[in-house]
Amino acid sequence: MSFRKKFILVVIVFGLLTVAWISMDFKSQEVPFVSVSDLVNNNEMFRQDRFRLGGNVQEGTIHYSDDKLTVDFLLEQGDSIIPVEHTSAAIPDLFKDGAQVIVEGSYKDGIFYADNLMTKCASRYEEESKYTSVSETN
Amino acid sequence: MIAILGNTLLLMSFAFTIYGILSASLYTANGNRKFMLSGERAILSSSVFVILSTIGLLIELLRSNFTLEYVARYSSAETPTLYKFSGLWAGMQGSLLFWVMILSVFIILVIYQNRNRHQKLMPWVLITLGAIQLFFLAMSNFFENPFTPIPAGMVMNGMGLNPLLQNPVMLIHPPLLYLGFIGFSIPFAFGMAAMITGELDTVWIRTTRRWTLVTWLFLSVAIIMGGRWAYVELGWGGYWAWDPVENASLLPWLTGTAYIHSVLIQEKKNMLRIWNMVLIMVTFTLTIFGTYLTRSGVVSSVHAFAATDLGIWFFWFIILILVTNIILLVVRRKELASVNKLESFVGRESGFLFNNMLFVAMMLTVLWGTMYPILSEAVTGTKITVGSPYFNRVMIPLGLLLLFLTGVGPLLAWRRTTTRSLRRNFTLPLIVGLILTGIFGAVSKITMIYPLISVLLISFVAAIIFLEFFKGTKARRRMTGAGYFRSFFELLEKNRSRYGGYIVHLGIVMMFLGFTGKVFDKEADLSMNQGDIKTVGRYDIEYTDYWLETPETNPDTRSNHAAKIVTLKISKNGSYYTTLNAERRFYTDQNNQPSSEVSLKATLFEDLYIVLGSLDLHSGNAILKVRVNHLVSWVWLGTFVLILGSLVSLNISGLIKGKSL
Repeated sequence: MSFRKKFILVVIVFGLLTVAWISMDFKSQEVPFVSVSDLVNNNEMFRQDRFRLGGNVQEGTIHYSDDKLTVDFLLEQGDSIIPVEHTSAAIPDLFKDGAQVIVEGSYKDGIFYADNLMTKCASRYEEESKYTSVSETN
Repeated sequence: MIAILGNTLLLMSFAFTIYGILSASLYTANGNRKFMLSGERAILSSSVFVILSTIGLLIELLRSNFTLEYVARYSSAETPTLYKFSGLWAGMQGSLLFWVMILSVFIILVIYQNRNRHQKLMPWVLITLGAIQLFFLAMSNFFENPFTPIPAGMVMNGMGLNPLLQNPVMLIHPPLLYLGFIGFSIPFAFGMAAMITGELDTVWIRTTRRWTLVTWLFLSVAIIMGGRWAYVELGWGGYWAWDPVENASLLPWLTGTAYIHSVLIQEKKNMLRIWNMVLIMVTFTLTIFGTYLTRSGVVSSVHAFAATDLGIWFFWFIILILVTNIILLVVRRKELASVNKLESFVGRESGFLFNNMLFVAMMLTVLWGTMYPILSEAVTGTKITVGSPYFNRVMIPLGLLLLFLTGVGPLLAWRRTTTRSLRRNFTLPLIVGLILTGIFGAVSKITMIYPLISVLLISFVAAIIFLEFFKGTKARRRMTGAGYFRSFFELLEKNRSRYGGYIVHLGIVMMFLGFTGKVFDKEADLSMNQGDIKTVGRYDIEYTDYWLETPETNPDTRSNHAAKIVTLKISKNGSYYTTLNAERRFYTDQNNQPSSEVSLKATLFEDLYIVLGSLDLHSGNAILKVRVNHLVSWVWLGTFVLILGSLVSLNISGLIKGKSL
């Protein structure tokens, strides 16, 4: 076997090893973006333990614990609503009533425990701005 | 008035570029030099127009002409003057114009440098660059025009700049990133020209060598500055999160880095000619793809702009580039085949090839993870994301293998390396590495495998590099009889690219040390009242005071925001260490949009990182996020070393003396 062939063989083996390494544990790293109603009603159809949900913070449902470190609120997406609990000292700057948020975490007994709370930033931000409201009224 | 002028110039440059491309194409067909000159002048004028047009937009931003939609959207009367400059790249329209402006500056430089050179390549270089310029000019003129007036006439004040962008780093990071992206157009254009004309020797590579290195340096620094910005501004405590937009900047860096290594083999051995062509094409395509990813909104990200229909045009532009490239590669495949063959696994050539293999594997890994949400949605209907666990799992081992090659590769001999020379070069560094890893393991009590391997490789590679400098200096001293100091600098002077490369590698090693420090990180969420003392790691944090500053109380420093501030007195190991003010801002020109400013006390080994989550001005209750981050400073220090090494390689003094790029 020529050296060139050997080298190509090494590259292929390396490639296969990398792919194998990626796929070995891939399923457990997958975080599906699901709808609230699917999560609540068809919970058994998912293999994964972690999920992402998107929706809006229902007006007036934000509630902080006494030490202000844990926040809970209702996340609404269309007609579906799910209670979300999140513990962190650094709540994103754009988190407020009606804000569009994405939460990531696990679902247990009807409550979504989010370890990651993200606010939809740039686009939302433009919509809410006072300038756009000026042009909308015109 | 200025806006109309800017808009007209922009439209004129579109027309001039079309003419320039046509004229240069005619020259390639009929050989009449006049057409080439005319095409060159047309594209030069077009580039000057773009620059003037950009200056026009900048003037409008600076004088707050809110009759322009773009100006009203990304600045306000209260925006500090410095940050009115950032308005230029804060939005889609401005950044497209800024993009084509930088390309135009590069085009002018390339035309000037090569005015008497590369007569066969230049027409195609010009046509390629013109085509890229035309695409962005079309976007800028017809889809995302920054000079669009506000439909309803004058608004009293603009919306102001996104507070996240009001950070000094954001004045430098985007321009650097653009320089780093757009710079790859130049070697790409020369590669295309080489393919089309069949001038496939090393001329196109050598003539763009410096362009590539400078571009690579810009891109490297830009990526790290992006991390720095995330660290000091976003306040989640780290500098890299595998966010799609971060990944978009990393993709061309990975293949670009592979490219600057593998062209060395082509220069020395005339091998890998197809491969280098493929690498530069992929790298350029990835820079366009990265722009597409961030500007089209196909992936949601903290940094991405809102979804627009621009995406489809970018998509077809990328397809066009890929198809052209593939056709050219197929046509030229025979002429590109290499003459020399590989001979051994332990030779310099193979070292470079393994290096390339790793970079490409890393690129594909990042690409797969970034595109997975889109691909999975297309296939299964459910958007599935993979986050940091996926990237870390794959990238850490690949990165460590690469770190190993960083040390070993440069010491391998061309063709094949003898066992004796391996032993001579690597025994001492390996011993140093093992001893330091042993000490590290014993002191830190870390038993995780990756940090230990990482420390072993870091000390191994650093020892190799220091030993190389030491040996080189000693040899030089023996030869010339000069002192150590002088010999050292002569060594650098005589072999810039090699020793500059070593210095860059040293910078990378330092960064790896910073990455490794992550295993020690500590985080605590605190709820404190005035007078409370709480402990995080070795730090005792005493909350002593709080107050409010507003645009009325502090007009000079807080023209566009109010700030709630807490004072924290911090002791380390029981004795006074420092006092930090943590603040949370509310931008008055942005509907009181809050923004937390990170307060940071950084040392070589530990960063104390505090974010004020909220402060109740009545009760004084403050919510704080406190992190102790380890070795992060090494990432920034490594960057400086990387810059230094690149400058040594680039021979800056020669550059100033007028050597061509």
